[in-house]
Order: sequence, then C-alpha cells, then structure tokens
Amino acid sequence: MDQTIDLGQLREAFLQASESDTPRVIAVVFSVLLLLAVLLLVRRRRLREEYTPIWVAVSVVITLVALRLDLLVGLTRAVGGWTVSSTLFFLGEVFLLLICLQYAVRLSRHGDRIKDLAQEAALMRARVDRLSGLAARERDRPLAPGAPR
Amino acid sequence: MSSGDAITLIPAFNEEPRLPAILEGLRDVFGESEVVVIDDGSRDGTGAVARRHGATVLTHPFNLGYGAALQTGYKYALGRGAKLVVQIDADGQHDPRQIPALVRLLLEGEADLVLGSRFLEPGMYHMGRMRTIARLGFQRLARVAGLQITDPTSGFQAMNRAVLDLYTLEFFPSDYPDVDVLLEAHRSGLRIRECPVAMNESQRPSTLHGGLKSLYYIYRLALALFAGLRLGNQRQG
Repeated sequence: MDQTIDLGQLREAFLQASESDTPRVIAVVFSVLLLLAVLLLVRRRRLREEYTPIWVAVSVVITLVALRLDLLVGLTRAVGGWTVSSTLFFLGEVFLLLICLQYAVRLSRHGDRIKDLAQEAALMRARVDRLSGLAARERDRPLAPGAPR
Repeated sequence: MSSGDAITLIPAFNEEPRLPAILEGLRDVFGESEVVVIDDGSRDGTGAVARRHGATVLTHPFNLGYGAALQTGYKYALGRGAKLVVQIDADGQHDPRQIPALVRLLLEGEADLVLGSRFLEPGMYHMGRMRTIARLGFQRLARVAGLQITDPTSGFQAMNRAVLDLYTLEFFPSDYPDVDVLLEAHRSGLRIRECPVAMNESQRPSTLHGGLKSLYYIYRLALALFAGLRLGNQRQG
C-alpha cells in the first residue's frame, strides 16, 4: 500500500476543511468586547476620540472575518498558508507591527514637542528672572531730589 | 569684543560639587563672557550654586538630556544676539584656560566651529579600550563622509552665529550630539577646525561615552551617515 502523502493535496484538504464554529464564536465575542472596551474608555475620558476609529475598524473586521472565514481562503492560497486561521494570525501580527511603528512615530513627535516646550519654559523663566531683577533695581533706585514720587 | 557678544554655555546635571571650580576658572580667563548654566533637571543644588557664582541659569523642568541642554543654551545665545559661543562641560574635564586658543581661531575668521581635540597631538589623553574603539570608529566613518577630525566626541567647542543658526534646528539630538551633528555642520558648508587641548579625566563616576553606550553611538553614527547620504542624494536630485 502506497503511504506517500502528496503535500499539495494535503494542503488543499486543509483549505477545504470546514472550520468549526468555536473559533468564530470566540472571535465575535472578542470583537464585541473590544468595541465595548473602546466605548467605555472614551466614556471615562481615558481614550481620546481621535484614537478610536482604528480600534472600531479592527472590531468590525474581526466580526466580518469570523462570520465569513471563506473570504480568507483565497488570501491563504496566495500567501502559501495551510489554514485560514494561520493567515488570520499572520494578518494580526502585521497589524500589530504597523500599529507599534505608528505609535513610535507619534511618540517621537510628542517627545520633540515636549522638549521644545521645556526649553521654551526654561528660556521664559530666565527672561522673567532678568526682568524681575531689572524692576527691583529700578524700584530700589533712590529718587533724584525734586523728582515726583 | 564687548560683554554680551560672547556667551559660555555649561550644560549641567547634578554637578553641584564640580561647578564652582569651573565657574571660578571661567571668571579668571574669560571674564568678558556671560556664563550660562543649563540646569538639566538636577536634583541637587546645581542651579543655586551657579546663581551664587553670578551665572545665568536656564532651568529645565525635568531632565531632557545633554544635547537638549546644549540646544537650550544655543537658543538663549541666539536670542541674546551672541556673536561667539563657547561650550564647556561641567564635569571638570575641560580646562577654561584653554578657551582663548579655541576662540582665537574663530576671531581670526579661520573657522565657524572649533573643536578642542585631545588627540591632535599624540600622548595628550589616555582613553579606555571601548572608548578608543568607538572614537576610531567615529573617526573612520566621519572620514567616509569627508570630514577629517581626530576628536569627534569632544564637548569642548567654540562657535559663531552661523553654527547657532544650524544647531537650533529640529534635527539636533536630545541625547548625544556627536559626529552626526558635526557631519550636518560639514554638509551645511560650515568650516570646522580642531585645536589641540589637554583634558582631564572626567570627575564623574561614569562618563557619557563609556561602556556599551559607545556601541550605541556607532550605531547612531551609521544611521546618521545613511540618512546623510540619502539627504545628499535628495539635494543632488
């Protein structure tokens, strides 16, 4: 009996296999919880509105993909994956890397702004000190005889 | 040169014990300059000591880093209309008596930026192995970019207004302005010269350029060179 396994056929079998409902349910529950967490954080003023669209979009995409996993079959074939879930993990990793990079860019920009503000504060404080010194000297200067008080 | 035309910058972070000697030394040899201490969020009495010795103090609300402290000083000097700026470290490594030699090259119009070099004359300064490797690495990489200098990490410098205009721009790093900044000055057409100076060992327990940080500097320099080459290409294009 020939026990050789054709990897191409095996991969195709994996791709054609129907996914169980459990991962779908978990994914939908997770995306709903994510959406709720985002709304709660905004309500408590711990997350600014401008940062919410990306997370709401993530939640919607997770729900869509969980309900229509077959949409990912083509993509899985294209990237050489064996299962739809591994493609999903791969996409998740890419997304996380991109979002980390984007936050690093934002942090760099905020770091520059904080530095500029702190420098400006130091320069303003020195200026105030100098003007206060000048004003004190002017106040303490003896008046010329006959000068109006 | 009248008072106010020259400003001496001293970036300082927790330098209360070492600052008085520097400030007194400066008064003796470079009394015509306004001395500005940039207190980079010190937790000791650095600012108070500097004020007691007649220095202007620029106080950062928190620690920003050596480069940012220097840049605050440059911004101040630019705002005050200074024509000449000397920068000297607060750790006792630089001898104020060597300032006239640095300044002379500027006043004679020989350079826009003068670096005090420990290595222009052999045997003037001894460095540890890691730092020597880093320095030689810097030197070689700088040479690749067309900049011939022997002491690329020297913080003992004198500069004119053209350099201040450049150093107050956004590119100036907050941590360690080293060869990357010198390369930018070189690329901007500023004339950089070195002047031999004797330096003491830093009196700080650990130095800014020691240990693993040296490797980080080499990485930073390589990055700066890459960015510089890209900028160069863009300028040509």
